[in-house]
Amino acid sequence: MKRRDFIKYLGAGGIGTAMGIFFGKNTKPPGAKLIPYLVPPEEIVPGVGAWYSTLCAQCGAGCGIIVKVMAGRAKKIEGNPLHPVSRGRLCAMGQAAPQGLYNPDRIKGPLKRAGSRGSESFMEVSWEEALRTLAENLAGLKVKGSAEGLYVLAPPLRGHLDALIRDFTATFGSPNYLPYDLFDNRNLAFANAVSMGMESLPHYDIENTRYLVSFGADFSSTWLSPVNLSYGYGQMRQGSPGVRGTLVQVEPRMSLTGANADEWVPARPGTEGLVALAMAHVIVAEGRYRGREARQWRSLLEAFSPVEVAKVSEVEEKRIERLAHEFASTRPSLAIGGDVLSGYTDGVSGLVAVNILNHVAGNIGVKGGVVPNPVDPFFSAPGRDFTRSISTVRDAAESGALKTLLTYNANPLFTTPDNLRLRESLDKVPFMASLSSFMDETTAMADLVLPVHHFLEDWADDFCSPSVGKPVATIMQPAVSPKYNTMGAGDVFLELARRLRHEREKALSGGTEILGEFMDERFSVKDFQEHLKRSWRELHAKDRRLSGGNPTFEGFWNRLLKDGGWWPEGAPMEKGPAVRVKDVAAYMPKGASMFEGEEAKHPFYLMVYPQAGLLDGRGANSPWLQELPDPMTSVVWGSWVEINPATAMKLGIKEGEMVTVESPYGKIDAPAYLYPGIRPDTVAVPIGQGHRSYGRYAKETGANPMDILPSLQDKGSGALSLNSTRVNVSRSPKPGWMVKIEATKKEYGREIVQTVTPEEFERMNKEAT
Amino acid sequence: MGSDRTIEQIPYEDVNADVVRTMTETGRLYYIFLFLSMAGVVVLWGLPWAYQIYTGQGVTGLQTPAFWGIYLANFIFWIGISHSGTLLSAILFITQTPWRRSIYRSAEAMTFFSVMTASIFVFVHMGRPWNFYWTVPYPNQRGLWLNFMSPLMFDVFAISTYATSSMIFLYFGSIPDLAAVRDRVKGWRKEVYTVLSLGWRGTDAEWHWLTKAYTFFAVFIIPLAVSVHSIVSWDFALSKVPGLSKTIFAPYFVVGAIYSGSAGIVTLMIFLRRGLKIEKYITKTHFDKLGMLLVVMSLIWSYINVVEVFTGWYADTSFETESLRYRMFTPPFSYMYWLMIFTNTVMPLFLIFRKVRRSMAPALIISLGINVGMWIERYLIIATSLPRKFHPYMWNDYIPSLVEISITLGSFCFFTMMFLMFVKLWPSVSIYEVKEDIGIPFRTKKGHH
Amino acid sequence: MSSIFKRIKDKLADYRRPGYYKEFDYHWAIVVDIDRCNGCEACVVACYAENNIPVVGKKGCDDARIFNWIRIEKYIEGEYPDVRVKFIPIMCQQCDRAPCEIGCPVYATYHNQDGLNVQVYNRCVGTFTCATYCPYDVRRFNWFTYKPDKPLDEQLNPDVTVREMGVMEKCTFCIQRIRYAKDAAKDEERRVRDGEIKPACVQSCPTGALTFGDLKDPNSEVSRLARSRRRYRVFEELNADPSVIYLKRVMGNGKRSHD
Repeated sequence: MKRRDFIKYLGAGGIGTAMGIFFGKNTKPPGAKLIPYLVPPEEIVPGVGAWYSTLCAQCGAGCGIIVKVMAGRAKKIEGNPLHPVSRGRLCAMGQAAPQGLYNPDRIKGPLKRAGSRGSESFMEVSWEEALRTLAENLAGLKVKGSAEGLYVLAPPLRGHLDALIRDFTATFGSPNYLPYDLFDNRNLAFANAVSMGMESLPHYDIENTRYLVSFGADFSSTWLSPVNLSYGYGQMRQGSPGVRGTLVQVEPRMSLTGANADEWVPARPGTEGLVALAMAHVIVAEGRYRGREARQWRSLLEAFSPVEVAKVSEVEEKRIERLAHEFASTRPSLAIGGDVLSGYTDGVSGLVAVNILNHVAGNIGVKGGVVPNPVDPFFSAPGRDFTRSISTVRDAAESGALKTLLTYNANPLFTTPDNLRLRESLDKVPFMASLSSFMDETTAMADLVLPVHHFLEDWADDFCSPSVGKPVATIMQPAVSPKYNTMGAGDVFLELARRLRHEREKALSGGTEILGEFMDERFSVKDFQEHLKRSWRELHAKDRRLSGGNPTFEGFWNRLLKDGGWWPEGAPMEKGPAVRVKDVAAYMPKGASMFEGEEAKHPFYLMVYPQAGLLDGRGANSPWLQELPDPMTSVVWGSWVEINPATAMKLGIKEGEMVTVESPYGKIDAPAYLYPGIRPDTVAVPIGQGHRSYGRYAKETGANPMDILPSLQDKGSGALSLNSTRVNVSRSPKPGWMVKIEATKKEYGREIVQTVTPEEFERMNKEAT
Repeated sequence: MGSDRTIEQIPYEDVNADVVRTMTETGRLYYIFLFLSMAGVVVLWGLPWAYQIYTGQGVTGLQTPAFWGIYLANFIFWIGISHSGTLLSAILFITQTPWRRSIYRSAEAMTFFSVMTASIFVFVHMGRPWNFYWTVPYPNQRGLWLNFMSPLMFDVFAISTYATSSMIFLYFGSIPDLAAVRDRVKGWRKEVYTVLSLGWRGTDAEWHWLTKAYTFFAVFIIPLAVSVHSIVSWDFALSKVPGLSKTIFAPYFVVGAIYSGSAGIVTLMIFLRRGLKIEKYITKTHFDKLGMLLVVMSLIWSYINVVEVFTGWYADTSFETESLRYRMFTPPFSYMYWLMIFTNTVMPLFLIFRKVRRSMAPALIISLGINVGMWIERYLIIATSLPRKFHPYMWNDYIPSLVEISITLGSFCFFTMMFLMFVKLWPSVSIYEVKEDIGIPFRTKKGHH
Repeated sequence: MSSIFKRIKDKLADYRRPGYYKEFDYHWAIVVDIDRCNGCEACVVACYAENNIPVVGKKGCDDARIFNWIRIEKYIEGEYPDVRVKFIPIMCQQCDRAPCEIGCPVYATYHNQDGLNVQVYNRCVGTFTCATYCPYDVRRFNWFTYKPDKPLDEQLNPDVTVREMGVMEKCTFCIQRIRYAKDAAKDEERRVRDGEIKPACVQSCPTGALTFGDLKDPNSEVSRLARSRRRYRVFEELNADPSVIYLKRVMGNGKRSHD
């Protein structure tokens, strides 16, 4: 090489390098580095996971979890072994949480509607603009004197985030903070409130019971607190040597819990409550009831003799009597009701009936029965507001009273019946803002989308309900730093408060005093983390139980973050409230529950139930959960209609064929699954699939049964009645396919799952001891 | 040996001339077929295989638990086809059967080419074929050795030994003929055959050593051939899978191999004698004898088949019962199964009649039928056993994908291509042994030797 | 010369000695109490999260190429209303006389010193033999190179290899967790304590149906449970000697309605 060439190349190379550095610096998005941290925080050791304890917000159970974080990324979630609810275990949905965090369809920054409403065309805006838009809108409301036009819709939160949003809404001048969730156990809470005066959901002590009768409660997959109750189930079965609890499931469609039951009682839909009352009748009539008001109970239950109930429920009289005897004589015993039972039009009556059964058998307030949760001044969820429900929002939107709707992680457009006409009503709302991580159906309607942190990136806390007989507070702390340009939900509300205060100052200079409310110091903290810490500092100062072992707050706070929350070691059993005749008389069922549609035109009862893993559809954007075979049908990536094989044969339907399920309110198409565990006069469709938006994994998979439900609500609790219509089933010409993992339902006598009879089991135990 | 002579009296001179003619005179039809088969190899085999290697085995219809499919069926089929050529040639050589002489050369070639086709299927069915050399035992830096317990390892040895031996057997038997060709051709051919004939001059010593070596290989190859197909059957029989784990599989496979191989020879000979116009050398007597062999093999094969079904039924376990029910009574496999019974058990019975044995059209139909049936047999063994394994939850029907079907067809093209090239490059009828069959030097008016 | 023969003879004798395969450092085993299992499938998702298991989509599931290393089999007996449903979790049974191990020509699957049946992904050439020989249908093949949509790949566990096309895989009893625990034990010069290791499925199981431990330790929880009278192993008659021990489900004949 000549020297001249060398210098030439050197020059060219130098310019190239400089350009590279220049463009590299200027074109790379911030943070686009190979290693997430240039200077890693102290606790990060490459290749070694750090575990952070936090709260699982996948459903409302409030499990404490620990998150394995490696190099700043969440890898694996496990139950927090110290936590009394999750007890170190976790369900499928909880395990799938990292797929929400790293979901490719997460909203990556604030969005403003660009096209027509619901067209899902948005443009990206800055947080500054997004928050200003919202703050100006709210200030506008206030100026116009229609602060009550602000409605805030969120899932039933229970911790200080709940308190913050409640305070914010109230301070703003609106009473309309509405907790909404499809499966929020409103009926159960209401029934317990009216029959036992319980303010919070009790702990159903499955762990210690010997005889469990479940009226439609599928605690193995979705009901109340599946992880905790499943743990209890395992303990009930084989937890103590030689003692094995019995499980009886009363429901028309065999759920996962029903599949595990020793006895499945397929009562006619809508009569399970009657069966419970008939059992109570037997117990009282035979003088096994030892409590007060024996005579009144006898007369109240007079109408529900097994003979009469057998006629409507199609459960033999003898069987009811036997169940009642076993229930009364096995100590302790427990009856629970939920899911299917609470979904009927008179769901409250059914749940009250279960409470009556527990009462007459003496199961309330005993170990292995219904364990009341203490109403703690510091660690309880606030009482529920049964007077308002999702239809309140609909009505307000219809009447124009709803001016601005703020939704946080709530997706009512997917989880309410089409018949409720929420979509049409929300179209009339002047301004909608959604705080959500995903483009779900409701967010797609919004004018402003404020993407919030995933719960693995956010701060919050939770007071579990139902708890486990003692107060349990769980802290949610960020396990990873935010992946996208998102904000914490609490931070958004604090920021709004700050801006409204600022607006006020502007307005003051204009001479009008309108927005003085947000001066409160509660709203003047830096961010929600500070807010949370301050709230806990107050708790620490007020409550001796907290400060007892940890005199300094900092020490307490560190332990709180390390342990994942606070709960006392043990707690004395609360005295069990009694069920009084006068309280429940008004809720006695008049007969079988009502179903919409005539039997001639719509011969089948329709049961809808939450699909395990997807719950109310929120799990549908996780590939793991979509690919998780449904426990009972093994179907993946889609929905199905469960039909009894005998019925299907009559209708000429083969497995996997598309069928139309038609109610008086509409029809859906889904493939048929022939399921022997369902009554011949009943069909069942899971909720969770059939999203119109909600990302690539959820879209266009299956059908949503909410499309064909009537919009019936319980008058007392305001809960939607899911099992409230009859349907017709016919073959459908539409294309569609069902993918199931099981090849056959039969075992062909291969003894893969071997069993012993209870008698043999007893003999084994005797021999062992 | 004149008494059971199969060939009419032909002058020695004509034998040489006829055989060399088959190699040098080529019709247009030949080129059309050669082109078609080459195109078939590229389009039906090469391209889909390249696609499969690039994309992954997922382009096949294989799934859990049917991890083996049409590729392995083809593998066994081609190994089976390979059987008769060399095995038959060797057995007939040792027993000094005269009718062997005019057909053995092409039969041995068939062996060699079908072993080649079969071994390519080993690579086709591998998930990572680029690592095939890991199955070869040689000192290496990976610090790992092979698993000699694995029947697949037996396969590697058995098949490579078999391919080598049959190639040598074919070559040794051809040396005098290559020399004869060398003496009659010009140009590039001359040079090629000069090299190939290894300077053969036809001295007594050369004949002596050739006969010795040839006899040695004939004796060596018989147990080898039997072991090869036994070992192939152990790929299945050493598993625990119902329908595959059968103690009778080794003899069953050997019998099936000889059966399908003999039928393959019949088919091939019919085409060969027509195509090369050598009806003089491959006569109806050959078909008569081969027909008898087919009847015997058919009866043995059918017997083993009955035994297989009977023992399965007699065991009366769900595993065997379901596997048999799936194979025999579940469409589409039931159609295939009963078609196989028809072509392999019923149809060959007609060969009992001398007239049928000696006429070409029925012989062709029956022999083709047998080969179709034998292919179905191999296919059914795999495609109906694995989808009905132990866990009913995991059962799955196996349907071959287009890629698999295409590669299967491509393998036939490959075989045809190889054989077409063979008949032009190699004396496909043994010159010197045919002369032995003609017997005492015989002169016609026009011929001298 | 004779010494070589003697060595080979001894080696063969060693192989034939009863219980040769049982002489492990540890003998990891899982006891599954089917009477506790309620089929909730938390274990399945836990396994997906821990072991970087690919998702194959609806088409892939339809082609029966789902990658669940652990699956809950469900069998239904009887007709309405006498329906009996049974669940059983099936993962790799880590057989001590593993049928898969004799199949592999290249030793990609072999028995390690802990009695585990391990799969060396790098070594695998994809002959499918192990999967064909497996009586429990637990082996999964990488038909394609499955890539998660970005940024889902950020969740991938760095302790576990991400497999590529053409490789067989299966449940490992979370060998990465076993390694960590063994390393820690070795540093402290002790044996691994009972309960120290929990594979992802065992860890997550809400009902406590799964227990993991060392069968060589007679006082471990698995040893205790394995002595239960309800003990059985799936397809014991195949003589594969699996390390997964099941405890029978207590179940009536399902006809209590006719008593």
